[in-house]
Amino acid sequence: MAPPVRYCVPGERLCNLEEGSPGSGTYTRHGYIFSSLAGCLTKRSENGAVKELPVVSVMRETESQLLPDVGAIVTCKVSSINSRFAKVHILYVGSTPLKNSFRGTIRKEDVRATEKDKVEIYKSFRPGDIVLAKVISLGDAQSNYLLTTAENELGVVVAHSESGVQMVPISWCEMQCPKTHTKEFRKVARVQPEFLQT
Amino acid sequence: MAGLELLSDQGYRVDGRRAGELRKIQARMGVFAQADGSAYIEQGNTKALAVVYGPHEIRGSRSRALPDRALVNCQYSSATFSTGERKRRPHGDRKSCEMGLQLRQTFEAAILTQLHPRSQIDIYVQVLQADGGTYAACVNAATLAVLDAGIPMRDFVCACSAGFVDGTALADLSHVEEAAGGPQLALALLPASGQIALLEMDARLHEDHLEWVLEAAAQAARDVHTLLDRVVRQHVHEASILLGD
Repeated sequence: MAPPVRYCVPGERLCNLEEGSPGSGTYTRHGYIFSSLAGCLTKRSENGAVKELPVVSVMRETESQLLPDVGAIVTCKVSSINSRFAKVHILYVGSTPLKNSFRGTIRKEDVRATEKDKVEIYKSFRPGDIVLAKVISLGDAQSNYLLTTAENELGVVVAHSESGVQMVPISWCEMQCPKTHTKEFRKVARVQPEFLQT
Repeated sequence: MAGLELLSDQGYRVDGRRAGELRKIQARMGVFAQADGSAYIEQGNTKALAVVYGPHEIRGSRSRALPDRALVNCQYSSATFSTGERKRRPHGDRKSCEMGLQLRQTFEAAILTQLHPRSQIDIYVQVLQADGGTYAACVNAATLAVLDAGIPMRDFVCACSAGFVDGTALADLSHVEEAAGGPQLALALLPASGQIALLEMDARLHEDHLEWVLEAAAQAARDVHTLLDRVVRQHVHEASILLGD
């Protein structure tokens, strides 16, 4: 028999700060934890540490809009390139699709970890490529999200060749078209073996 | 010609209510599937619809982005058929801009904007039928819509209007009572803490009477909160049943 679910609304006082620690969907004021969302109250105790207070949080059924945070791995699509940077649309944060896409920028010096000054954007990305990147900055007044692909697991995942066929990666810097057998330069992501379908 | 008696000797108003009585409120959340959050409210004959989008990236000029908070953008629009006579200018007139600004001030006080830096939250309110207390209906509808969108808020924002006739404070004025020309006060309250989000009045009221009118409006806002609380719990309960929790 499932325990009775307790619903809460914003402004409802949940408990004392001595009885729980605030989680997502809550805020603290004057030593008490209040709810900030309308949803179900959940209390989760950290497994292991006995003297840790249970985390009190309010969960909604439909997750609200997720914003990319610093350090998050995002999936984006290249919209335009330039000799200094590539502009992308951020489509997924982790594995959650975004309802509205955000704009991001991958600067020339953030494409690779080695030989940063010898990078050519034209040989790393092309418009339409799907790229895995990490957020390094939320940006300031003038810029969008700043992303980096300077890791082995980050870079181009899906790309189409000039003849329109999806290409197969052959090394960390080249992809080959299966139809015309031409090789094109991209900064390819090394996909983890468990994600490869054989 | 006998004047319209707003408060009879027995204490009844024009529509038969008592001085502190609210009109019948019906509200629904999740009216539109395509918006992030939406709600519809009817307070007596005043009907308002609120739609919330966000938080999303700042549209237009990126220089308006605040580095530590979300930007709250409110727009108020009243339909041309909402009043007794058809309105000629539904958008962009002074009243709409001022209402939008007041709504923005109200919701910036309640929404936890620090959680979403450099993003924008849009709140659009449309009045379909205006029978007095339009600001209050808009705030109540927008509160439900923001909750429906899952945007974290400090507390509900409940609003109500109040007036002063014949030595008695009246709560939740209808159009007839507003048009009679007495002082009217609009109050938006955060019920749990009792904090006032917005207080607006542009009439002349003796300072001795202000306390009574304010108390009447605050009590009415708390009554609205009781109702909205029930609506939200009902909606959350139904949503969890539908998702097979």
